[in-house]
Amino acid sequence: MMIWLTLIAMTAVIFLSRYLFLEPKLPLRLSKNTLQFLGYSAPAVLTAIAAPILFMRGQQLAITYDNSYLICGLVAVLLAYFTRNTLLTVLVSMALFFIIH
Amino acid sequence: MTREPQPDSKKPLPDSAAESPDAKNADAYSANAKRTMCDNGRLDNERLENGSPIRAALKGALAISPLTLAVVPWGILAGSFAIDAGLTPLQSQAMSALVFAGAAQLVALGMIKAGIGLASILITTLLITSRHLLYGMAMRPQVSPLPLKWRLTLGFLLTDELFAIANLGKQRSLDPWFAFGGGFSFYLGWNLATAMGITLGHKIENLDALGLDFAIAATFIAIVVPAVKRPSILVCVLVAMVASVVCALMELQAGLLIASLTGMACGQLYAKLSGEPWRQA
Repeated sequence: MMIWLTLIAMTAVIFLSRYLFLEPKLPLRLSKNTLQFLGYSAPAVLTAIAAPILFMRGQQLAITYDNSYLICGLVAVLLAYFTRNTLLTVLVSMALFFIIH
Repeated sequence: MTREPQPDSKKPLPDSAAESPDAKNADAYSANAKRTMCDNGRLDNERLENGSPIRAALKGALAISPLTLAVVPWGILAGSFAIDAGLTPLQSQAMSALVFAGAAQLVALGMIKAGIGLASILITTLLITSRHLLYGMAMRPQVSPLPLKWRLTLGFLLTDELFAIANLGKQRSLDPWFAFGGGFSFYLGWNLATAMGITLGHKIENLDALGLDFAIAATFIAIVVPAVKRPSILVCVLVAMVASVVCALMELQAGLLIASLTGMACGQLYAKLSGEPWRQA
């Protein structure tokens, strides 16, 4: 029961966050500073989720050559930067990862 | 699941609405629609360029397909991790079908498994999902004039991935069918992958050792790197990266919150100090 409650509450929170500003009746009164601050939320949150996956193994920092997460993550950054091609970035870095991991 | 039939049941409406002016004087209408800010005009103009709604939806599905592919290992992880955290198979699938937010699901599952209370789970969820407020804001000019059914559908489907493809053509108007095709195909991919994870989770003992979580990192790298268009965003990303690793080392539960807010604050501070001109993301 607790699990269902959690799922439904999470669904509500997430749907509302996605829908809120798509609602035309909502008067949009956000200061420029707030908007600017929110502008950094996507890169910050996505990075903060991804970085520990790449840099940590268990509870240890793993900046080593044999950390395949870090090596392939670096390859993905380079591919994304130089090719600007999502498919190539995702496919090549994941293929490389599953080969060397 | 209850929202799925809506777009289908609506199919005849935009079609018939769009076709009558097309048939009458397509050329004049198209030329006019290019200049007008009227939303119907924009939609019809888009339809003239893209062909049928089905073609637009397929184009959307194709545009998002690299990210749909990348989400498969991640979905498998979400499914098996849900079982691992003590959810029933039905609950595990319902989580992907209803919540439909990979990062929030995985973080929440970790918290459920650790026995952390509902309030903390919801606050963390709110933080992880707060970036969707921004996506909603960015897509507001295009989506808010649409009928309620479209708004609810696209709102429900608004993920990082959908925002990434919908925002690519930011200068042109957004075809809701393009967004729907992208969002819905991604939704199907996510749920099928979750179902695989629920099934495989039982059978494969050390699913963790496969390193499926790399797919999360690869997806976010593919989204974040092209978004680093200004020095302040680079500052934000680098600070968030270092802070998140430091928080993980300190085993802070609010690590994601702290790291994200620190990155955002440093990005904005850098922009202010360097006098960087601001454009909406």
